[in-house]
Amino acid sequence: MALASGEVSRARTTVASLRLAFLQFMADPQWLVPSMIAPVIFGLVSFELFRGAGPYFLTYAILGAGMMSMWGQTLYGSGWATGQDREFGTLEPTIQSPSAYLYVVLGRIVWNVVVGLLGGLIVYLVVVIAAGGPPALPDPVAFVLLFLFVMVTLSSVGVLLAAAYVYTRYAGFIQNIGEFAFYVGTGCMFPVVLLPFWTNPIALLFPPTWALDALRYVSIPGYTGFGWGWQVDLLGAVLTTAAYAGIAGGIFHRVERHVLEVGNLSEY
Amino acid sequence: MSDDPAIEVHDLVRVFESRKGFLFSEVQRTEALKGVNLSVGTGSIFGLLGPNGAGKTTLVKILSTLLLPTSGMARVLGRDVTKETDWLRPRIGLVLGGERGVYTRINARENLRYFADLYGIPVHERERRITEVLERVDLTSAADRRVEEYSRGMKQKLHIARGILHRPAILFLDEPTIGLDPKSARETRKLVRSLIQDGVTILLTTHYMFEAEELCPELAVLSKGTIVAHDTIPGLRSRVGGDRTIEAEAYGFEDREVEALRVLPGVSKVASEEYGPRTRLTLRMRTNATPIDAVRTALRDHPELTVRERRTSVEDVYLDLVEEEAS
Repeated sequence: MALASGEVSRARTTVASLRLAFLQFMADPQWLVPSMIAPVIFGLVSFELFRGAGPYFLTYAILGAGMMSMWGQTLYGSGWATGQDREFGTLEPTIQSPSAYLYVVLGRIVWNVVVGLLGGLIVYLVVVIAAGGPPALPDPVAFVLLFLFVMVTLSSVGVLLAAAYVYTRYAGFIQNIGEFAFYVGTGCMFPVVLLPFWTNPIALLFPPTWALDALRYVSIPGYTGFGWGWQVDLLGAVLTTAAYAGIAGGIFHRVERHVLEVGNLSEY
Repeated sequence: MSDDPAIEVHDLVRVFESRKGFLFSEVQRTEALKGVNLSVGTGSIFGLLGPNGAGKTTLVKILSTLLLPTSGMARVLGRDVTKETDWLRPRIGLVLGGERGVYTRINARENLRYFADLYGIPVHERERRITEVLERVDLTSAADRRVEEYSRGMKQKLHIARGILHRPAILFLDEPTIGLDPKSARETRKLVRSLIQDGVTILLTTHYMFEAEELCPELAVLSKGTIVAHDTIPGLRSRVGGDRTIEAEAYGFEDREVEALRVLPGVSKVASEEYGPRTRLTLRMRTNATPIDAVRTALRDHPELTVRERRTSVEDVYLDLVEEEAS
């Protein structure tokens, strides 16, 4: 596709941002704690927590701890990186460049997904070693594919958080109050159906709720979840993720315009 | 130099609103720019002077598409800065300077690589351009060191390197030497001068008068959101009363002595200032009609009198204009 004057390839912006995220990760050893060490702890805690809870406790342990180590990285990593852009004073030159900021965020999301998956893999290995063998998965291929799809759904919420960080320096507030509620409410640790009924409609507004329910359907025989089957869950996840992606695409342009009107890009 | 203006600004107003208080918050309005009019020619260094809070950075941010004006019109390279940002952004270089604005945990080369990609510099040219700008700002030997190890002057050079990496047609330099040691500041000014040879139009904001005098053939003085003067340096000098300045110091002067100085031929202005027990009279001289000895004669009753003559500096011009505006 020929580029219009001043237009920069979206793929190039995404790759540049992904590369920068990688370089910054490697430059700061403190990232090893949430990304590599925490999954080991989560895996062991989850294993002990679910031990003896039915024949599929290993799968529960892996899903619970895996989500615990992945969700924060994937969901909040990109938003937080935008907050850091504010703090470093790099948000202004980045917005001033011809690249669309949405693709800068996308690059960071890809990186966060990679790190999140690495955390998930560490959890899997820890639980398998602790249990002395792998869990019995009825459909390993569907499990892996849905696992990846959960990351996509988490990312779709992450983009909106990144937009919030561009919008205002106070976006950290949303993250802080929503962190635990989101984790429990979307079923990262326990199935959502175990929560009070009134929380369910709210939970279903978030794409990961659908995807996680589908994931449990395909990995735990006898799991009933919302009772409408994994196909409906998958459809719900696809539709809500598409809606979030659409909102994110539209909202970024407006948020960029808004911050130019307000003039708060250099605030942190 | 082309005749088409690189920057055109008409009646530009920018109001910032901020909230004070939590439950019963009040909106506070600050008018940072109050109807600015400005035209800057292509291919030169234009200086924008003004005290802190005058609105210099606000104007630069509007012109570089980082801020929208509340009202008025601003065009850069003939394009509307509020509507044609996609066309303008690759052609604008912006150096806001300071300790922030760069990724400090990675090295300078990686910082530049990232921005080269964001600016869409062709991949086959990217490394050559990075090497070129690093050499130009004299950062080659430190290019692979983390930016957090850099001095402020080195960070400033990196800011400039990023600003020129994509070869912009217009470069906005917002106080590029602020906080730098004299050697780094001199190197930065040398670099800025060299950029003009590439045909880049530069708008430089500063509150260092000597810097403006050294670099900018044309200047505007911004005070409290308004352009109070816009001229060449000789034009500004004549505007505040002349090219020559005579300063006379003693332990107090009588009113009749000051009046006697005012009526001397060529004297356009006499200002008085207290310096502890001493008083300094500053005379702006429009012509050479009155020699320094005539001033000595007029003030001969003061045995401790000191009189000296110097060229009216841009600082004199600036202070006169800003004081005039304040009064």
